[in-house]
Amino acid sequence: MNATIVFAGVAVPVKLHTATTSETVSFHEVHLKDGGRIEHRRFCTKEDKEVPYEEIAKGHEIADGEYAVLTKEQLAAAMPSGDKTIRIEEFVPAGDVAPILFDKGYHLGVGEGGADGYRLLHDALVKTKRFGIAFFVFHDRERLAAVRPQDGVLVLQTLRPADALVALDDVRPDADDARAPTAKERKMAEQLIEALHEEFDPTAYEDEHRELVLKLIEQKAAGKDIDLPEPEDSEPTDDLAAALQASLDERAHGGRRRRANTGKAAPAAKHRRASPSAAKKKKGQS
Amino acid sequence: MARVMWNGSLSFGLINVPVQLVGAVVDRDVHFRQLHEKDGAPIETRRFCAEEGKEVPFDQIGHGFETENGTQVVLTDEELDAAAPRKTRTIDIEAFVDAAAIDPLLLDHPYVLLPAGETDGVRRAYRLLAEVIEGSGRVALGRVVLRAKEHLVAVGVREGLLAVTTMRFHDELRPASDVDTGGARKPSAAKLKAAVDLIGELSADWDPDRYEDRHRKRLEAAVAGADRTEHLDDGDDDAAGSGTPGATAGSDLMDVLKASLAKARS
Repeated sequence: MNATIVFAGVAVPVKLHTATTSETVSFHEVHLKDGGRIEHRRFCTKEDKEVPYEEIAKGHEIADGEYAVLTKEQLAAAMPSGDKTIRIEEFVPAGDVAPILFDKGYHLGVGEGGADGYRLLHDALVKTKRFGIAFFVFHDRERLAAVRPQDGVLVLQTLRPADALVALDDVRPDADDARAPTAKERKMAEQLIEALHEEFDPTAYEDEHRELVLKLIEQKAAGKDIDLPEPEDSEPTDDLAAALQASLDERAHGGRRRRANTGKAAPAAKHRRASPSAAKKKKGQS
Repeated sequence: MARVMWNGSLSFGLINVPVQLVGAVVDRDVHFRQLHEKDGAPIETRRFCAEEGKEVPFDQIGHGFETENGTQVVLTDEELDAAAPRKTRTIDIEAFVDAAAIDPLLLDHPYVLLPAGETDGVRRAYRLLAEVIEGSGRVALGRVVLRAKEHLVAVGVREGLLAVTTMRFHDELRPASDVDTGGARKPSAAKLKAAVDLIGELSADWDPDRYEDRHRKRLEAAVAGADRTEHLDDGDDDAAGSGTPGATAGSDLMDVLKASLAKARS
């Protein structure tokens, strides 16, 4: 999609590309009996009759079962005009924007005749270590977004409204009178974090569930039976210090290391779940 | 009270802490449901078999997947459950990484983990984890299964509580190298300075509360209007601003920067 970044009187034409894709295996609904595709049909709950799309209005529930009704035209009138402008309102220190507010990400490519402006905005953001905070309209909806440089590219990431964050004091458990962790427990936990510390390499994490779903489809296509999973159990830790010590011992002996050291051959470096037998062994030790 | 989305345990080494997962963001969007315009009755969706033209109860619906050679493979709910990774009730911490090393584009949805249970052991283990993770400046990486899908998660700390963010897998992120950035030469020092000065003029501290969700406000106004009169005024377009300026071409970029700077300073 073509858009224009505007700040003060400067206009930089850009192209918006989604930065992420979903690789989740998607299914469609089918009737188990005959393999027929399932169609969704709209029915009026009052008349019990199918309703064509043209006769649909949108209702916002204002009280139980009571709706404020908006026709498609009325709804369209409430939508912003899609002027495809990324209007930067201000520039804020890069470190100030909490990552928890980041929502959907887009790569901004250069637009027609915008190469110089693109490079200039990118370089100036790098130099000032600031993000542009912008309003932009996409899919009939105005959103707040941050424009930031990353790997030589301008990235736009929508921002959740500040009031969308749950106030943590509303969910925090009541103050408890549990004993504070001891210095020894803390020290062991720190050592364990240190032992498990590594450079972040996103490619070391594969979507195993996706692989399993695809394997399952293959099995089924080959007419094989599918084993149903067995239930799992886990028990809370009673003796914190003993569990920490056992965890550290396990790391030290390296008998059950889940991964090779960083930099080793790729398959060994993948993060795999412990096998069921290893998991049982682990239970036995605790 | 926050809705619990998942019950399970957080496992770190041989420590198991029973936890509950609750959402860290609330949906404040104005939601609509489909109504029959004529009588205002809610619309309901019914599932019909395209082959038979008959309504199909929910428990007779399976998951169809079209293979590359065009044949359809159908899985039942139970069979699909078999693909759930073995541990659907555990977040297994696999590694600790520097929080700053995680590309924000990988971040998906934020949640909060709360201790489940009031026993001394649970509370202490939770507190220990929160304290040492916070002190380390790192986040824990693990996996969680939510709604039959496995997610990579980062576990950090916010205000003393364990904060979980689901992450996308690396192959769900498009490479930045695919983006055409135009390959313009480095801007001249004078141009860069002018741009930096302009950014300086438009600088502010980040205050998310200053930005209200105008989209939501507009829909709320429309709903309020519909309630009274069932008729909307002509669109409220004061917010979007009108007209998009044309591209600022390279040659006059400096002039525009100077003019903008003068205006911003006036």
